[in-house]
Amino acid sequence: MPLIWPALIVTILLVVLPVLYTIWLSLSDRKIDGSNSGFVGLANFQTMFAEPEFWNSIRVTLFLFVLCLVVETVGGLALGYLLSIDVPGRAIFQGLMLIPAITASVAVALVWLLIYDPTLGAANQLLEAIGIDPVVWLGSREMAPWSIAIVDIWQWTPFMALIIAAGIRSLPSEPFEAAVIDGAGSIKKALFVGLPLLYPVLTVAMLLRTVDLVRFFDTVYIMTQGGPVNATNTLNVYGYTAAFIDQDPSYAAALQLSLFFLVIIVAGAFTWLRGKQSNAE
Amino acid sequence: MKKTTRKSLAILTGLGMVLSIAACGSPSDNAGGGDAEGGGTITVVLSNHPWQRALEPLIPEFEKESGIEVKVQTFAEQQARDKILLNLQSKSNAMDVYMTLPSREGPQFSSSGYYEELDDYLESAPEDYKATDFSPGAMDGMQADGATIALPINVEGPVLYYRKDVFDELGLKVPGTMEELIEVSKTIKEQGDGMIPITLRGASAAIPFTFGPFFHGEGLSWTTDGKANFDDPAAATAIDEYATLARDCGPPGVINYSFTESSNLFAQGKVAMELESSNELNSVIGESSTVVDQVGVAPIPAGSVEAAPTALSWGIGMSPFSESKDAAWEFMQWATSPEIQLALTEGEIAPPRDSVAADPEYTDTFDTDAKKEWGEAVADIQANGFVEVGPVGAEAPAMRKVIGDAIGKAILGEITAEQAAAEIQEGLTPLLDTK
Repeated sequence: MPLIWPALIVTILLVVLPVLYTIWLSLSDRKIDGSNSGFVGLANFQTMFAEPEFWNSIRVTLFLFVLCLVVETVGGLALGYLLSIDVPGRAIFQGLMLIPAITASVAVALVWLLIYDPTLGAANQLLEAIGIDPVVWLGSREMAPWSIAIVDIWQWTPFMALIIAAGIRSLPSEPFEAAVIDGAGSIKKALFVGLPLLYPVLTVAMLLRTVDLVRFFDTVYIMTQGGPVNATNTLNVYGYTAAFIDQDPSYAAALQLSLFFLVIIVAGAFTWLRGKQSNAE
Repeated sequence: MKKTTRKSLAILTGLGMVLSIAACGSPSDNAGGGDAEGGGTITVVLSNHPWQRALEPLIPEFEKESGIEVKVQTFAEQQARDKILLNLQSKSNAMDVYMTLPSREGPQFSSSGYYEELDDYLESAPEDYKATDFSPGAMDGMQADGATIALPINVEGPVLYYRKDVFDELGLKVPGTMEELIEVSKTIKEQGDGMIPITLRGASAAIPFTFGPFFHGEGLSWTTDGKANFDDPAAATAIDEYATLARDCGPPGVINYSFTESSNLFAQGKVAMELESSNELNSVIGESSTVVDQVGVAPIPAGSVEAAPTALSWGIGMSPFSESKDAAWEFMQWATSPEIQLALTEGEIAPPRDSVAADPEYTDTFDTDAKKEWGEAVADIQANGFVEVGPVGAEAPAMRKVIGDAIGKAILGEITAEQAAAEIQEGLTPLLDTK
């Protein structure tokens, strides 16, 4: 027990205390000059629930979360399967695919900003070359969330694929052989043998992306700052704006706490599903 | 110990380690500081701006003369604000001097005690600093609650950059009123062979600076006796003009545009006019520009009532939490001295000092038509500019967002100009009350 004290103290100082302070902030009224007029009960949360922008930011967050997670998982499965096949040069491929995931999101967002420029960018030049009308990638409320999602999918699908490929390569071969003897074709083999066996790996990969996606911030902050007119205002970006532009730390604390709970709920649901699945086996 | 407790402790510890890595990026205390006599170290936080780009190369000279080591931290505008605010809110001594926009954050920072008052410093400044030589307009902008909170470092305001070759080819006259501006834009759209007529700001937080002349040009001021004036029908007219230009004659994706995007487009020769800050001259006639010889500069067109350019000065302020105030003042005094402000004009920084603005060494550098026209437009801004970039008050940043968001919706065609005006009026009222 004594050996754990240093770690425990660090944890309390850096995790528990800030969370407690955030909770206190959200229940009080802190002014920007640092003074605090004290306990106000749930007033900040009342304002939050009455604020349409809060619900919009939840909607935007969930949209990006669901869209990115589904595409990244399906794409990751497909790419991961290809990566699991032994072909010459596989290691090189695997290395190249890591590049988007290890590049800083800020750099990725800045490069995509250039690609997306409606007049000068590469994306529209490409579209025009094949005869498709140019798209205003970040300049309309309908299109902007999709454009942001494309960047995230580009950046993180290879990462999912690498985890899944490693999972596929470590699967035992006996169940597949048994299935073949029972007369299963390739599709049945993949769906009813491969996928269930892969389930633990898949859920870990999805859980990792889930936590990041619910806290979606950096790409949006660099590319649109939540715009145009709040179309990409995720909960995390909204919380940042409340704290640093509107300079309302107490309201921002309420927003960030709700983000905290959103992460716990979504990640908790995943973990629960995983536990249920592994108990069932 | 039970297994589950141990597991949760392990998770907590893991989390702690991750967070402690993140915590390394927080503002740390200044190791230097201390004695002003014979040197010391000061930290200066700057926003990415033509003034900063022109000043930085001159700093080693100051370090050699004064023996003071200057650590410069430069960030993009919004990140610089975040960094400055973090330092001030945590009462940190890690920052001594910072760039500030008093027209935006002056009242807010001043009421929070985030500015060291400079009047005493100015009074005891040496003769050759010429403390009274700053133009009255610029110096007025540096006051809050009756005290001087910052020193002006430049003068800027929106001007109209245009392509002389395009105007000649289509036989167009430089627009003098907003109405003519819209007409000219429409002509270019019809006859300009794919040339984008005009680029201007569409990004929410950036809009008020260039929208101001449309609004003031209709004879309106942001507020009267603490009440917003967007319920005046003329406000809708101004919004309609701005939104029409952006929507019908602006570049695709204009809703995300601020000065960087606009100047890029202009320098690449894709657009015939740019409504932007006078600061952008360097970007449109600089090395990377493909249209250097074709640039014309005109004062911003007048509204139906009057010509109303916006005038804005950046300043440098001193942190009240600095532990090297004497060294900090020495740096500020140097950076705003007549000699340095003259040297900075080489980077197209319009000086806030009358003597420098009239100095032949400066005016003689207007060796091209574009620079001459620019010099005249800036002089006009300095003489006639409206200093309120947005509604004044402790909630100024939030109020600018209200204005920008509603005009943004009008640009996207989601609401009419009248609806936008009503939305702004409604949004501003509670923010003005908190004053």
